[in-house]
Amino acid sequence: MKDAITRGLLKVEAHPEQPVLEVINLTKRFEVDGTSISVLNDLSFNAGIGEMVCIAGRSGCGKTTLLNILAGFLRPSAGTVLINGEPIRKPGPDRCVVFQEDTLFPWLTVRENIAFGLKRRAKDKRRLNEEVDRFITLVGLGDFHRYLPQEISGGMKQRVAIARVFILQPQVLLMDEPFASLDYYTRREMQNLLVSIWRDLGQTIVFVTHDVDEAITLADRILVMDRSTGRIREELELTLPRPRRAEQTEYVFFRRKLYELL
Amino acid sequence: MKFLKKTRRQRAVLPWIIPGAFLLMWVAVSGVDLVPHYLLPSPLKIIQTGHAYICASPGDSPYAGRFLSDAGASLVRVFSGFLFAILCGLPLGVLSGRLAVVHGLLNTFINGLRAVPGITWLPLAMVWFGIGMKTTVFLVALAAFFPIYLNTAAGTRQISARLLQAGAMMGVDRFRGTFGILLPGSMPHIMTGLRLGLGISWAYLVLGELTGVPNGLGAVIMDARMLGRVDMIVVGMILIAIVGRTSDGLLVKFLKTCFKSARRMI
Repeated sequence: MKDAITRGLLKVEAHPEQPVLEVINLTKRFEVDGTSISVLNDLSFNAGIGEMVCIAGRSGCGKTTLLNILAGFLRPSAGTVLINGEPIRKPGPDRCVVFQEDTLFPWLTVRENIAFGLKRRAKDKRRLNEEVDRFITLVGLGDFHRYLPQEISGGMKQRVAIARVFILQPQVLLMDEPFASLDYYTRREMQNLLVSIWRDLGQTIVFVTHDVDEAITLADRILVMDRSTGRIREELELTLPRPRRAEQTEYVFFRRKLYELL
Repeated sequence: MKFLKKTRRQRAVLPWIIPGAFLLMWVAVSGVDLVPHYLLPSPLKIIQTGHAYICASPGDSPYAGRFLSDAGASLVRVFSGFLFAILCGLPLGVLSGRLAVVHGLLNTFINGLRAVPGITWLPLAMVWFGIGMKTTVFLVALAAFFPIYLNTAAGTRQISARLLQAGAMMGVDRFRGTFGILLPGSMPHIMTGLRLGLGISWAYLVLGELTGVPNGLGAVIMDARMLGRVDMIVVGMILIAIVGRTSDGLLVKFLKTCFKSARRMI
């Protein structure tokens, strides 16, 4: 695979039928006080190249556990996760994560945070700077690149968190309720921003959320997780064009459907 | 505006009220011969002695002009001991903060050692290392080790797992994870540990030098006691306070110059 720097901002061509991420019979059990609790139970799904897959579920259904396994932070009790046919072993820049909580490095500026992952691979400093500049502009933080995380708002922090992973051009982007702690308007703004960056760059995204509207706004496909069985309960294909509006008939249909399922 | 000016002036005056009153009392007490001079010399006498100690050419009087060589000797001892303490305390602290095995292995032992007052090491140190440089450096290193080790361990332990996961998913290996995330993220704790360590270094320097070392700021104090020169004792105390305070300021400045994390998080 070519270096992100030399690939520049090239768009990844979408091939939803060709899986980049394959989750096969995944099971995760936790031992609590001698009893074994199974959170994920024989769970399987795929994500195709350039696809935006939302995993929706009530809190406690194992969404974050699933994402932690996909990222490589947790080991599954059984089952495999393949990226381009290769099983994953540890966390790596082919599967970047945007967390719900603030995980920017507080001693680095916005710019340095965004450059953090790329700096290690970059041979050419001038090109690194150009690339970082492009992503700062892409997430709309041009005037704030010298600020420290503690000096900017929650929404801006998540913009930085998005830029620092998109810049690495991962095979799959994992997002764990990244906008859950933001206010309504900022959340809508961030969802639109994400869709526009995703359309520009075409990355595969697995987006975990408990918010029905967020899932309908973003997803090509929604996988509904079931708390009692620890599996995917239902799969919904969304073909309606973006931007999606709450008064569209299909939107209303999916919304009612999701409320029933969750 | 007027109000603001007034409070600012008040704030500038505030720290000097107690030292000023103290000094006035001292002048008054020594002026009316309430206390004999051989117990409490007058401030003027202190200034004269201090001036001679620092500025006069050697040989004019018993302590004349010795300041630079004494301070130099003491600084070398403090910094050698402090450096030893950093070289042991920092890596062990990081390991103990991050690895449960190391923590389990070291914690009881080190806290047990810490319960032994530093001063009780003096007789043993003198037997092992003799009188002088080595004993002093040993005592300083031993005393400074504990705050550096404990604070580094606490700092690296409190780092959020998410911060390290964020590094891992961006492809950071263990080495860069340690120097690029763990240490900067623990900088406030590490800095506290280093400052406490340096502070206590000066205390144990004096202890080490009280044992009959020919030169050094602590040695001068002990020497002056034997000659009944209370003025020189006080001069020595004041100078140690000044040099210690200055070295703390320089340590902070040094860290802030060298590390972004020290500059931006403290």
